Amino acid sequence: MTTDVAKPGPARSGLPISILLAGLSIGFFVVVALATGEIAQLSGQGITGLLQRMVALGLVAIGQTFVILVGSIDLSVAALISAVAVLASHIMQGDPAMILPAILLCLGLCLAVGLVNGALVAYGGINPLIATLGTGLIVQGVLAASFGSLQGAVAREFQAIAYGGLLGVPYSLLLLAILSLAAAFVLHRTLFGARIYAVGGNPDGARLAGIRTERVTLSAHVVASLFAGASGLYLAARLQSGTPWVGRDGIYDLESIAVTVIGGTILAGGKGGIAGTLAGVLLFACLDAGFNMLGIDAFLKQVLRGAIVIAAVAVHAVRTKGHVA
Amino acid sequence: MMAALSMSGISKAFPGVRALDNVDFDCLPGEVHAICGENGAGKSTLMKILGGSYRPDAGTIRLAGNAVHFSHPRQAAEAGISIIHQELSLLPHRSVAENIFMGREIARHGLLDKAAMRDKAARLLGRVGARIDPQALVSSLSIAMQQLVEIAKALLLDARILVMDEPTAALDERDSRTLLALVETLRRDGVSIVYISHRMPEVMAIADRITILKDGRKVWTRPRDAAPVGEIVRAMVGRDLKDFYPARPASASGQLLLSVEGGANAALRDVAFDVRAGEIVGVAGLEDSGKAALAQALVGDAPFSSGTVTLRGEPVTLRAPRQATAAGIGYLPGDRKREGLALRQSVRDNALLTLRSMAGLFARPQRGAFASDVIDGKLREMDVRAADFGQEVGTLSGGNQQKAIIVRWLAQASDILVFVEPTRGIDIAAKAAIYETMRGFADSGRGIVVVSSDMPELIGIADRILVMHQGRISGALPRDASEEDIMHLALGLADQPHREARA
Ligand SMILES: Nc1ncnc2c1ncn2[C@@H]1O[C@H](COP(=O)(O)OP(=O)(O)OP(=O)(O)O)[C@@H](O)[C@H]1O
Ligand SMILES: [Mg+2]
Repeated sequence: MTTDVAKPGPARSGLPISILLAGLSIGFFVVVALATGEIAQLSGQGITGLLQRMVALGLVAIGQTFVILVGSIDLSVAALISAVAVLASHIMQGDPAMILPAILLCLGLCLAVGLVNGALVAYGGINPLIATLGTGLIVQGVLAASFGSLQGAVAREFQAIAYGGLLGVPYSLLLLAILSLAAAFVLHRTLFGARIYAVGGNPDGARLAGIRTERVTLSAHVVASLFAGASGLYLAARLQSGTPWVGRDGIYDLESIAVTVIGGTILAGGKGGIAGTLAGVLLFACLDAGFNMLGIDAFLKQVLRGAIVIAAVAVHAVRTKGHVA
Repeated sequence: MMAALSMSGISKAFPGVRALDNVDFDCLPGEVHAICGENGAGKSTLMKILGGSYRPDAGTIRLAGNAVHFSHPRQAAEAGISIIHQELSLLPHRSVAENIFMGREIARHGLLDKAAMRDKAARLLGRVGARIDPQALVSSLSIAMQQLVEIAKALLLDARILVMDEPTAALDERDSRTLLALVETLRRDGVSIVYISHRMPEVMAIADRITILKDGRKVWTRPRDAAPVGEIVRAMVGRDLKDFYPARPASASGQLLLSVEGGANAALRDVAFDVRAGEIVGVAGLEDSGKAALAQALVGDAPFSSGTVTLRGEPVTLRAPRQATAAGIGYLPGDRKREGLALRQSVRDNALLTLRSMAGLFARPQRGAFASDVIDGKLREMDVRAADFGQEVGTLSGGNQQKAIIVRWLAQASDILVFVEPTRGIDIAAKAAIYETMRGFADSGRGIVVVSSDMPELIGIADRILVMHQGRISGALPRDASEEDIMHLALGLADQPHREARA
């Protein structure tokens, strides 16, 4: 809105969004635990449980952050999570020898869906909301129609991902931590990351600067699908056998978008990052845990979550005095 | 000498327009070749074809004698062509260094070397004479500074052919001079420079040869010595342009319209001035002088935090643009893409925007002043060139976009119009038309505040020039002030009481 007036850059004012958000979330959790006398929640085990709540949503949301940063969006993740969970349990049929083939096949499916999404958006010029809604519906439809013949359960050994751990730290948390760091590294330190911010921030400018924007968008979609696949595999391990509704029931499509935006990534693309997204996921985990301790009923919980999503995004709007989402 | 660049028989059509028709163009090593032409003549289109953004319908491009075909800007860049595009193409949320290296990051095995990029960015910024922190966010920079970042970005490539499409449109006098000096050094290094500008004095100062485009056709190419300004203008416009600036009324200005006392905010201090009926008040100053902040304060976009504003003797509060519009103050922003236009909407819708926004919710959309033929008439009067006024405004040439915004404010009855860089990127004939319109507006008993970086423009059009320095009005000059007088005040060299006594 200015020509001459130099504004202080929004990034410089106050704490980074991620730290602020994480602090508030943890504060809420601690206060509720103390108020309700559930001190056990504050033990090492309680905290681990809290963090484990982050895994499924966290994994999808990391992928969602990539596509939103590039200026696109992915609504097909929920269906893909279900598909992966079902496919993994069907292929394994309890047999540990089939773990690796199952994982590879699932990731292959994700790669294919990601390529289709990316091709539709980047090369077909189809609005990403519509394109990914469409692929999501197709995946969900095929899955529901063929589920009768896709029964099965994952191998016991595979369930270690959800229930096993190293020195008291669950493998699933390690997985989330490693993939988060890797994603943050890619976004901030690699060429690919720089290109994602460029394409999301100004597609025409990026093209003029010689970036092959279509490829970047396509790759981001592949990343999003692969992360959805990781989330689906984790859920299969936790639930032992996947159903066609795990993704939809977890509202992973909309929630992954919500936490990404809460974390300060703007829907227009080109601004944001993984740290904020993880803070958004932590907020959701703390809210869930806190509401459980308070014994709030399921419907009121939805209302409160909705209100908090709006409040969080509104706070960004005020902080940056501009257009956020 | 073998031409570094030669384009021959280039044609390009867009739906409804022949943007280029069989155009030949060449540029020698170490030559500055200027292209002049009206808005929409096809200058940018020719350069976008050279840069690989558009594919020509016909024609060939040769670089040092070898034919090339570009289908992506990347290929043009690899062939040693660097273009500073007319429209800024930066990433607002990224740092200056990240922007300069967009698409050409320094990386080993895909890993960025951020320190090296910061250092090199700082050096490039030094070369264009910009004091900008490479780590600053682009969104925190003014357009002029963003333009300097674009120039630094273009220099990164060490191109053999450098195209500058209106690089000085957003720059003030000091930055323009630095840029022209830079062009001089590049020329001495043997770089071929294609220079597009609507500022005639610049073109005459640096061009070796000049090519004129009109309606997509080449009129002629001549060495500068064989091309006096009068001939250039005649070739561009197709007729003589006498009286570039409209005659000023001999009578003194009328009653007091607007008066500001002690206006201040984060960017301004002690601002006090009057605007009288029939008067055009110019505001000069360097980029960071607060001249644009003054305009924003007047229209309630970045309001004064203290001080009083009176309009026709009544105190008014200007806390939001809507209040200012309702009070009769119109605003023509400097950054038309960001603040002025709904790019995806039609020319007509853009011209109607203010009128519609101030109308009641139940106004009939096609009646009275809203009717298509009424607004079309106004657009034609302003000579907005479009294949059809239903066309998306974003596809018009820059100058024609600007004219569409001016029509918007002329359609709304305002007492005071605040113009920021009214002729940025506008051709000479359209400039004359806009000056004419401005003078006509003032003559009808209303007032204009015009903020501009173009000093000859202010001297030519304004009845009085306020010069700003560091958020204050450092002096006021009468209408026949010289550029030196203005620069003196703008640089803060003058002691203020002395100057004001003269004014
Ligand atoms: N993408 C596009 N789609 C349709 N028409 C276009 C497009 N780009 C340019 N034009 C048209 O082509 C013509 C030439 O435009 P161009 O931008 O080359 O003009 P210009 O000489 O650079 O003008 P200015 O001085 O205003 O920058 C104009 O009539 C313009 O409306
Ligand atoms: Mg142009």
